[in-house]
Amino acid sequence: MRSDLQRAEAMAGWLFAAPAGLLYASFVLAPVLLTVVLSFAYYDPMMGSRWVGLENYERFLTDPRSLGILWNTLRFTLFAVTGNVLLGLLLALALNRAMPSWLLSLLRLSFFLPVIVAAAFASIVWSYFLADDLGVVNHYLRLAGLPGVRWLTDGQTAMASIVMVDVWKNVGFFVVVFLAALQGVPRALVEAAAMDATPAWRVFLRITLPHIAPVAVFCVVYASIGALQVYESIVILTGGGPGDATRSLSILMVEQGFGSFKIGYAASISVVMTVIILLITAAQQWVSRRWVRP
Amino acid sequence: MGLAALGAAVTRTRAAARALDWAIVAVLALLAVGMLLPFLWLFSMSFRPVSEAYRMPPSFLPDSLDLANYRAVLDSRVPFLRVYGNSLLIALVVTLGQLVTCTLAAYAFARLRFRGRDALFSAFLLGLMFPAQVTILPIYLGYARVGLLDRPMGLALMYLTSSFGIFLVRQFMLTQPRALEEAALMDGASHWTIFRRISLPQLRPALAALAIITFTQTWNYYFQARVLLGREESMTLPVAMDVMRGYLASGNLSLVMAAMAMSLLPVVLLFLVAQRFVIQGVAMSGIKS
Repeated sequence: MRSDLQRAEAMAGWLFAAPAGLLYASFVLAPVLLTVVLSFAYYDPMMGSRWVGLENYERFLTDPRSLGILWNTLRFTLFAVTGNVLLGLLLALALNRAMPSWLLSLLRLSFFLPVIVAAAFASIVWSYFLADDLGVVNHYLRLAGLPGVRWLTDGQTAMASIVMVDVWKNVGFFVVVFLAALQGVPRALVEAAAMDATPAWRVFLRITLPHIAPVAVFCVVYASIGALQVYESIVILTGGGPGDATRSLSILMVEQGFGSFKIGYAASISVVMTVIILLITAAQQWVSRRWVRP
Repeated sequence: MGLAALGAAVTRTRAAARALDWAIVAVLALLAVGMLLPFLWLFSMSFRPVSEAYRMPPSFLPDSLDLANYRAVLDSRVPFLRVYGNSLLIALVVTLGQLVTCTLAAYAFARLRFRGRDALFSAFLLGLMFPAQVTILPIYLGYARVGLLDRPMGLALMYLTSSFGIFLVRQFMLTQPRALEEAALMDGASHWTIFRRISLPQLRPALAALAIITFTQTWNYYFQARVLLGREESMTLPVAMDVMRGYLASGNLSLVMAAMAMSLLPVVLLFLVAQRFVIQGVAMSGIKS
């Protein structure tokens, strides 16, 4: 009797999970494995494909151009993650105080609105804002008697501009996540510390920060996974230029795979990207176990 | 220190703290307006006559509510309505698909015990880490073979389930009481009946959050859409807007902005109507992981 019930439950379990499982296997797991396979091949359905072993990876890791693009992507990730997470935390701390609830919703809404808008749409608007001669930002700079800045066409500033747009676009997500975490910090603890005239920064370091640390770690990883894939904001704002100054791994991958049909080489680029993501996630697990109380 | 003096000191620090609070709120309000400026600009530019698009100063509030640009977009040679339809179709199919597949799988992972369950769930979680870049090549090659390239349905098919959706619904389900479900099981109800009659109605907030997040995310896809849907008739809005900006770049800024305003409309409306669910969903995904 009992084992019948258990068998029925197991059967139901597999049936309920089946639609998602089959789709996931066909559109995620199998493609990932095939990409890994492709990354060891020279793929040409017309003239015949062949195995090339590690050649694609070797090419990626020895070509100064692809290494420069890898470095761009890592740099972008570092700046964008730092900007988004730090600013998100700061804004959440600022928002986490007594104020009328309509005001809080209004402020939160303003910060969150760019999050729901496509990166492509946001980048198109910003491309007009940051244009050299007819740009909105430069118009006001000149009005203030300052020289215009070549936001997107100067190799030195283009990356900074893209990071800035990215932070404008994404910081609201981290504000909302941190705000929810801050509201979970026991109020009694913070108030007791305030009674003792403990300086605010010590309250933050001793009580608030340990409490929200797991969320902060999540934010860093989540932001990194997103930033490593950066694509359309760069395509639209600078097209990867000037030169290769802002080209990212995703752009290189699309150009190689779908532009020049070097499928195997493109596959190796996406595998490298995925390995970096897996390493960052593994580091998160390690950090969480070592330093963050569950 | 006398009691009165202590009282006065406390009042003074309280007053100082309140003043600081208000100063911070004022700064936040300024920043919030700054965040909204690009939207205000987009909106007011969409009403500016094409001939004045680049006139300075730029406007952040519309001078008129002339819909000429909107009409011009609908009449232009970009098949705007077709593209809009593609975006709607893909986003609706994906949202519906995820609501079904993610809820079913979440029930299995949150409520049923079976061998391999935890391994299967971990396999799904792995999906949170795979970028579209590492799946797109084989999907492209496969689609090319079966004729799904340049078909909006091809893009929709890729996203009929999601690790995030399963995770979100499962986490929510784990916080729900299961007494009713267990009682029904004792009475001999099947899992299908329990799922439909008891679990599903309890999931409404989670499903609302999932639906809005999924619709928005799908509406906004660019990378996948650009690779799989390259032809004009099969394009989605984000790619088409970029194309439009490209070949209408000089002088027709007003048209691009009118098209963008129409493209933003569904997600912004959806968000304004159901803000609560999105905020909860986002906050939950942060806290529960």
